[in-house]
Amino acid sequence: MSSELRVEQLRKVFTTTTAQGSALKAAVDDVSFTIAAGEIVVLLGPSGCGKTTTLRCVAGLEHPTSGKIVIGGTVYTDPQAGVLVPPRNRNLGMVFQSYAVWPHMTVRQNVAYPLKSRGVKGAAQDNAVRDALDLVELSAYADRPVTQLSGGQMQRVALARSMVYQPQILLLDEPLSNLDAQLRLRLRDDLRRIIKRVGLTALYVTHDQTEAVVLGDRLGVMRDGKLLQLDTPSAIYNSPADLFVAGFTGATNVIEGRLVSRDGAFGVVAVASGEHVMARMGHDIAPGTPVRVALRPDNVALNPAGEGRNRFLGGVTSRHYQGTQTVYQVSVLGTAIEALEVGSAARYDENSQVTVGLPAEACWVYPADR
Amino acid sequence: MVDTGAASLTASEKAGLDKAGSDRIGVTRAWVPWAWSGFLIAMLAFLVLYPTSMLLIGALTTTNPVVEGYSLADISIGNFLAVVMNPNVAAALGNALIACAGGTAVAVAIGLAFAWVVVRTNTPCKGLIASAGMLPLFVPPLVAGVAWSILGSPKTGLLNLLLNKAGIPFRFDLYSMPGIIFVFGIYYAPYVYMFTAAALRNMDPALEEAAEISGASATRTMATVTFPLIMPAILSGMLLSFVVMLGIYGIPAVLGAPANISVLTTYIFALTAWSPPRYNTAAAVAVILMIVTGVLVYLQQKIVSGRSYTTVAGKAFRPRPLNLGKWRFLTLGLAILYLFVVVVLPTIALFIAAFRKFLFIKDIPALFEAKQYGWQHFIKMFDNPLTIASIINSIKVGIITAIVGGLLSFAIGYTITRTRAPGRRMIDVITTIPVAIPGLVIGVAYLWAWIGLPGGLYGTLWILALAFVARFIPDTVKALSTSLLQIHRELEEAAWICGRGTLSTIASIVLPLARPGVVAAMTLLFILSMRELGSSLFLYSSGTMVMAVQLLGYYEGGNIGITAAFSLVQMVLLGVLISFTNWLSRPGRGSGAIKPDIAPTGVVRSG
Ligand SMILES: Nc1ncnc2c1ncn2[C@@H]1O[C@H](COP(=O)(O)OP(=O)(O)O)[C@@H](O)[C@H]1O
Ligand SMILES: [Mg+2]
Repeated sequence: MSSELRVEQLRKVFTTTTAQGSALKAAVDDVSFTIAAGEIVVLLGPSGCGKTTTLRCVAGLEHPTSGKIVIGGTVYTDPQAGVLVPPRNRNLGMVFQSYAVWPHMTVRQNVAYPLKSRGVKGAAQDNAVRDALDLVELSAYADRPVTQLSGGQMQRVALARSMVYQPQILLLDEPLSNLDAQLRLRLRDDLRRIIKRVGLTALYVTHDQTEAVVLGDRLGVMRDGKLLQLDTPSAIYNSPADLFVAGFTGATNVIEGRLVSRDGAFGVVAVASGEHVMARMGHDIAPGTPVRVALRPDNVALNPAGEGRNRFLGGVTSRHYQGTQTVYQVSVLGTAIEALEVGSAARYDENSQVTVGLPAEACWVYPADR
Repeated sequence: MVDTGAASLTASEKAGLDKAGSDRIGVTRAWVPWAWSGFLIAMLAFLVLYPTSMLLIGALTTTNPVVEGYSLADISIGNFLAVVMNPNVAAALGNALIACAGGTAVAVAIGLAFAWVVVRTNTPCKGLIASAGMLPLFVPPLVAGVAWSILGSPKTGLLNLLLNKAGIPFRFDLYSMPGIIFVFGIYYAPYVYMFTAAALRNMDPALEEAAEISGASATRTMATVTFPLIMPAILSGMLLSFVVMLGIYGIPAVLGAPANISVLTTYIFALTAWSPPRYNTAAAVAVILMIVTGVLVYLQQKIVSGRSYTTVAGKAFRPRPLNLGKWRFLTLGLAILYLFVVVVLPTIALFIAAFRKFLFIKDIPALFEAKQYGWQHFIKMFDNPLTIASIINSIKVGIITAIVGGLLSFAIGYTITRTRAPGRRMIDVITTIPVAIPGLVIGVAYLWAWIGLPGGLYGTLWILALAFVARFIPDTVKALSTSLLQIHRELEEAAWICGRGTLSTIASIVLPLARPGVVAAMTLLFILSMRELGSSLFLYSSGTMVMAVQLLGYYEGGNIGITAAFSLVQMVLLGVLISFTNWLSRPGRGSGAIKPDIAPTGVVRSG
């Protein structure tokens, strides 16, 4: 039932009218990706980067400026060829950010609505509704008005409604963002389990990285309408394609320097203090170029045991105890970086001298001009 | 009366304040809030409860208050029932219900279409259309009636003249039930528009998109999602416009009288104009009008306070206008047609009638003969000393109403929203009672309250002003409460922490922040009282003639030229005042202060 989704060079330009006049702005800029049948892909990016617009183009709710959307081998959107199948004929499911459950209907009426539109009647309709409500564990609430449900339950109604007719693809637009933190954690796991059990192809959009990692088979990181990197969560976290992806996924320490030499996968970077740092090279960069080295605070080791490379002398300038972890500001290599240590006991005082270990395989070199 | 009351507040509250201020640990006197609530309740009792009770007494007795004074001797429900059984009353009630039901149906058709065009389509210039669409709300009903009688009277109407010259045998007859329905409908369509446009704007577009994604067609989406969701708003706008039409005097008076169609309002006035005046019967019919209005208002409030579907998700929505392609020029054309009929045509009619020597127009070229036009009607109008006197009286009444009403509304609004004063629920409830009382009924109630007390308010400008305050107090208090609720409690609490007392905090924090709202409420009261006809009809005397009644006098005197001229003068006056209000509340003025949004809410009930 579920199909492959192919998005090719999708572009959507909005005309925005401001006080200065109207301006053109590409909300989605040349985005291409493919989702295999039964796969969950999560688009991740800060607010306003074009995630919703991409999703709405796939749904047919937005008309892209150019590009192609192919679902299960059939072209659904191709403005150049004048193809634009309306949403109602796409057989897609969509969960909206505001849930968009119809407040004047009961849970059952909400879920049965798409079936009625498709002419599914009688026992077939009843069975499908029952199965869908079972799936989201809302059978006991079937005849309640939806306005009497909690946010989490409304979200489940929206999910049941979008899956009850076994759509080719399920689209989800930040479905958890209106829920409180606790519920969000629980539903996040439920959501993946439910989608996987049905075996749907899903495109999921969020700005929350932990949500993305848990839910997605693959993640795509977006910025300013562009898809920067689309890969497995582990690849995104361990070899971010550029400085933005690195920063967005938590590599917030950035050390400026100049590439001195490179040796296979690793390069040597001279930093402000004159010391040399070894780091992984993801890009082809010529020696002599200004570069930035990015690494995650939790990869910074303070007073590491044994001998090793990339060890530097530094000092703790401040410490922020956070209960189960401690964040230190460390002055090292002529700059300031953060180090994070897990554990409920803070090991170092302010102004203490420490050896700072920067594991070379966790440091990534990026060109400074990007 | 009012002044002494305000002074007593100042004195008593100051006493508590000074004490707290002088020794810092002073205990607030426990009787101060009680005295304050007592004062407000006494004011409201004087303004609202006493006249309404007198009206009820009038409806249940048969003694003439002018001749015999008030008497409860023959009080009996039988007196009221005798009036209800009267076939003339039944006819007036029937006519009123038919006219208002028809008018509401027309208003819903136009208002709904207008809301859809403005909110949901890409029709060109829709912002302009939307603001122009509110203009009919500001036209006094009597002026609307006069303009349409000039246009559509069966023999001399300008439209019929054009039809005659064009050789079309069809004639408009506005002096008829369909005529009243038509004029009601086009002038009160903006009420329905306001409600439905707001509902459409506040509706999450995702609700409709979800239906589309689910496979529903556009018409099915509209029938199963859009309509059910905005239904409460449509019903609410319907009931409201029905209620307003029910209380209107000017339109049925002008268009119904020639055809002998009387509705409740015109019948009530006719009763008091008979000799001897039938004050008791008028009171009884007014009570019928009040009961019908009360039931409808109750229904409307129930709908409004019921589940509002449109605010389920509390975020701002990006509108998703339907691209109409070239059909958008058709919708633009229809909107312009409506505006032409409701704004341009009547204005032209008034201009022609006001400036032409004789309204009789032989043929089309005669319409453009310059020597037929002049200021003669205006000159004659101002030669009549009553004209200027009525304008001055209206301004005086407007000023008294604005000041008394503004202060009282602020005091009540503040007490209801910001204090824990005892009895504030009761104050709130009494304040909303006039919502269910049409202006004309307030007029009859005040007549009953004062006509039997020689040396009282009757015959003064104050009785008009106080009746207007009572009539509009629900609207101004509501608007001011909204304005006050937007001022965060903590702003006030911060001032208390700084050592300020209640009065000092109100003066230094609340009033400056709420000032635009208060000023707008007062200006609005001024405007509303300038154009109020219904309650003035029963309360003016030869010395206290006001503009709206004087206009009616000119119309009934049969001089259409002077009537049109005076209508124009009033429209210009109102136009200047309304522009002034808009200027007061224009964006960017009074940095940080709460922006008032009360002009439409205030006009809503006044018709
Ligand atoms: N209908 C629209 N008209 C104009 N600009 C839009 C519209 N929809 C989205 N945008 C703009 O496009 C950009 C991307 O929006 P969106 O896809 O909603 O971002 P995200 O979902 O990632 O937060 C934003 O800058 C937004 O302001
Ligand atoms: Mg979004």
